[in-house]
Amino acid sequence: MSGLLLMAPALLLLLAVFVWPLLDYAWLSLQAQSVFTGLEQVPVGTLNWQRLLADGRFWQDAWQTLRFAVVSVALELVAGLAIALLLHQRWRGRGVARSLALLPWALPTTVMALGWRWIFNDPYGPINGLLQLLGLATVPFLAAPELAWLATVVADVWKTTPFVALLLLAGLQMIPHDLYEAFALEGGTPWQGLWRITVPLLRPYIFIVLLFRLAQALGVFDLIAVLTGGGPASSTESLAVYAYLNAMRFLDFGYSATVMLGMFLLLLAGAAALLLWRRHTEVRA
Amino acid sequence: MTNTSDPATATAKEHTTATSLRLEGLCRRIGGRPILDGITLEVAAGECLALLGPSGCGKSTVLRVIAGLDPCDGGRIVLDGRDITEQKPARRRVAMVFQSYALYPHLSVERNLSLGMELRGVAPEQRERELAAVLELLQLSALRRRRPAELSGGQRQRVALARALLRKPQLMLLDEPMSNLDAQLREELRPQLRAILCGGRAPAIYVTHDQQEAMGIADRIAVLEDGRLQQCGTPQELYHHPANLFVAGFIGRPQINLLPRADGTVVGIRPEHLKAVSSGGLPVRVLNREWHGASQLLLLESEQGPLRWTCDGNQALGDGLRLDWERRHEHRFQQASGERC
Amino acid sequence: MRGRLAAIGLGLTLALAIGLLSWAWARPAAVVRVLMPAPFADATADLVAAFNGRHRDVRIAVTRGPFETDAVSDLAISSLLLGDSPYDLLLMDVTWTAKYAAAGWLQPLDPWLGAEALEPLVSGARAGNRIDGRLYRLPLVADMGLLYWRTDLMEAPPRTPDELVAISRRLQEQGRVRWGYVWQGRQYEGLSCVFLELIAGFGGHWGPTAQASGEQGFGLAGPAAARAAGWLQQLVREGISPQAVANFAEPEALQSFEAGEAAFLRNWPYAWQELQREGSAVAGKVGIATMVAEPGEPHAATQGSWGFSLLTGTPHPEAAVQVLQALTGDASQRQLVTRYGYTPTLTALFDDPELVAERPLLPQLRQALEQAVLRPLNPGYAQLSDILQRQLSALITGRGDPALAMARAGRESDLLLRASGQGLAPRPQEVSP
Repeated sequence: MSGLLLMAPALLLLLAVFVWPLLDYAWLSLQAQSVFTGLEQVPVGTLNWQRLLADGRFWQDAWQTLRFAVVSVALELVAGLAIALLLHQRWRGRGVARSLALLPWALPTTVMALGWRWIFNDPYGPINGLLQLLGLATVPFLAAPELAWLATVVADVWKTTPFVALLLLAGLQMIPHDLYEAFALEGGTPWQGLWRITVPLLRPYIFIVLLFRLAQALGVFDLIAVLTGGGPASSTESLAVYAYLNAMRFLDFGYSATVMLGMFLLLLAGAAALLLWRRHTEVRA
Repeated sequence: MTNTSDPATATAKEHTTATSLRLEGLCRRIGGRPILDGITLEVAAGECLALLGPSGCGKSTVLRVIAGLDPCDGGRIVLDGRDITEQKPARRRVAMVFQSYALYPHLSVERNLSLGMELRGVAPEQRERELAAVLELLQLSALRRRRPAELSGGQRQRVALARALLRKPQLMLLDEPMSNLDAQLREELRPQLRAILCGGRAPAIYVTHDQQEAMGIADRIAVLEDGRLQQCGTPQELYHHPANLFVAGFIGRPQINLLPRADGTVVGIRPEHLKAVSSGGLPVRVLNREWHGASQLLLLESEQGPLRWTCDGNQALGDGLRLDWERRHEHRFQQASGERC
Repeated sequence: MRGRLAAIGLGLTLALAIGLLSWAWARPAAVVRVLMPAPFADATADLVAAFNGRHRDVRIAVTRGPFETDAVSDLAISSLLLGDSPYDLLLMDVTWTAKYAAAGWLQPLDPWLGAEALEPLVSGARAGNRIDGRLYRLPLVADMGLLYWRTDLMEAPPRTPDELVAISRRLQEQGRVRWGYVWQGRQYEGLSCVFLELIAGFGGHWGPTAQASGEQGFGLAGPAAARAAGWLQQLVREGISPQAVANFAEPEALQSFEAGEAAFLRNWPYAWQELQREGSAVAGKVGIATMVAEPGEPHAATQGSWGFSLLTGTPHPEAAVQVLQALTGDASQRQLVTRYGYTPTLTALFDDPELVAERPLLPQLRQALEQAVLRPLNPGYAQLSDILQRQLSALITGRGDPALAMARAGRESDLLLRASGQGLAPRPQEVSP
């Protein structure tokens, strides 16, 4: 009983910031509340959910969001590990490099997205400038659906790799150095050490990185809003952008809540899969 | 393991080939400061040498330089007739037991042990055979599926030792392998460790700051101070003929009494060699006494300075106490250089 | 000592007297809070200061909003959704009016301004302010889509789509320009504006059609929409416009034209000054015209304008309307025109010879404004526009058939409106590729 009392503040907080909004959204998803209803709530049963299931755009955005998140996070993990390993070594100027490496992470997303919009500009951006200098044709990075999503990935990788590197660097510093010495004496090469020692021992950190970054990347909004606006042909639109459009542009709050909840359910499924995978690998190892 | 004629022990010993190690003027500097200053040593096949010294004397560095974990800034390391000074650690065929044991925390005991063989390309059947032998030798068979975190300190130490044995090294290095164990366990393990290390065909170097341990395990002891080798010899030589003041003070507990003389020498006399005399000798006054069971240690004051005296438990004490010693037990050192006269 | 005490006493008495006097004079002033996009807040800062200097009973407090139109809308909507609006007046884009009015956030201005409120405005600026016969917005400045052309490369601007393509192709083949025509092809509101002009030029109309029965596809089902969309697709496909146009907003298109890379540019009046400034490769070589159209069809200009609306929650509507009238009045517009290059909405200013002498473009702008077409005045406009942009963007990036894509956009628009007519959330939409 006293235990429950002690937990009460935390439970209340959880209820207030997490459960209540969810219930509110669930309620809203069963209402029509839009500019067409004069923003009044009109109960419509599962109409919003039926619409969601049949909404090709929702599923297209879900796929695009997933593709963006998985590819970005995978690249960030590889690049982040490489940078973390580099920053973990002792070399002259490492301290400066460690601070510099964090800069992209410290930059506001909208600012860096504007920067990348300039970098990818066709034909005046620096990349296309270089291509022209080499006598090559310019590339419409942001104007071609098959390239634009990769451009969003590149910008995201540039921005968040420092965060991943920082977390993994913290993990690297927790690995005792003598493990590598013992490993070397046994005949292991540094490359083997990376796979036999570093990666397995970084697993908890990698898990945290995956959890944080996937959750973040699946909710990507500002980067895409600024860099491509979701275009061309909605090929870079994420679920968060779609939910935002429905709420703030279309003033269709009932459906926006449904999109958000749908996104939340997909995220939940993803998190559950990740947890299961982790448990599975832990049992096996 | 308690029985040295155990067939498993024999197997383990066959792993090694008869070799010897020679260090010639080994040097190591960090930022211009000498950490090792011309260490010259020889360890014969099957011999166990203890590197003894206070913390910070460079004894662990000797091991690390031999293993190739730290660079060598001068001198040569000759193992089995070949110069390995510039070789990569993996190619030196040297095994090391780390003070922390350095077991891979994410791997079970058997994976910890077989990983090295895997890396070296040992065939699976042979791996399993050798693994089974060493597990039995070190009584680890029941623990083979446990992770290091699930083992006691002594068990971890045995796993680390097993891993080193499986390397079939030409040289075995042990860096304070018992410092993480409690005193009782250390005493229990000493003979077992000695059985495994000594009498094998590879030399072993055992780093410790504990002279009891060094004397209990090693054939010879090398005393290090300030990166310099002070003396190398059997425990008896070190005890009876300390080469200088440092060795005299470092070896032997309770510590030797050092009495400065007017002629610039110092006389050293061990507390156990003092005797009570009825007349003559040195008049002393008792300051303190420590009860050691069969004996007691007295802290005394004399006109030549403070003295330690180990005496029989039933020794009668009185105000008129006078002490003397036989001249053959006396050690003489130069005050200035610390060298033995 | 005594003298100092006396001085302090005198000072205190004086201060008290002044305090009492000012309290007696100053009836509590009605503070009218106005949210404007940053450029307007900056451009009207001294007007506001002058107003506050003249009036003792009404004070204007301007909130300087973000630069971007969408960001201002987000800010306004976020605060309006919370209930009591922190603003009395809002400077609004023409496309917001229907939505905000339907949401119940705006008060009709008719009771204060009367039926003739829009009479002083040029005709092209009057549209887009009344919803269901009620006046919800009073315009401040106007905007209209223009076709910029290079006077050094041709005698006269093209008047038909075919001419534009022909001239472009010739100039491109001669190597005098890299591109023929640059415009706004990014998936955003600007693309709808581009399309609105073209569908008119091809004889169509984006919006509810006259016939009450049948599926009209919001004007998108007919041949005009397909031809307009097809023309845009053709421009990119045949290299008249760069592929990159699919991500061009106004700045990117302007940049390309300003660098002398293109023969034609679609943009708003603000581009004129930009093109004439130092460093521009086309300074003094630019003319303006209305958009191309098929023979006999209107040369349309998309109307964009900013105007003030009165918010429902205002505690002192009279004071707010007073401010609204002052900020949209002659002096205010005159300053925006002369100092900042905006286009006025008052007829008197277009007719003012002094002003015309200073800004010779005004007659041409008025002409364009007379041709202004309005984007559909519908509460669901944002969504209708989004449906259109999506299909157009796909076409420009080379995907799909114009007729099919426009038909699909038309069906989606119909669905949205049919559902909204029932006051319900739209029904399940078709699955689009």
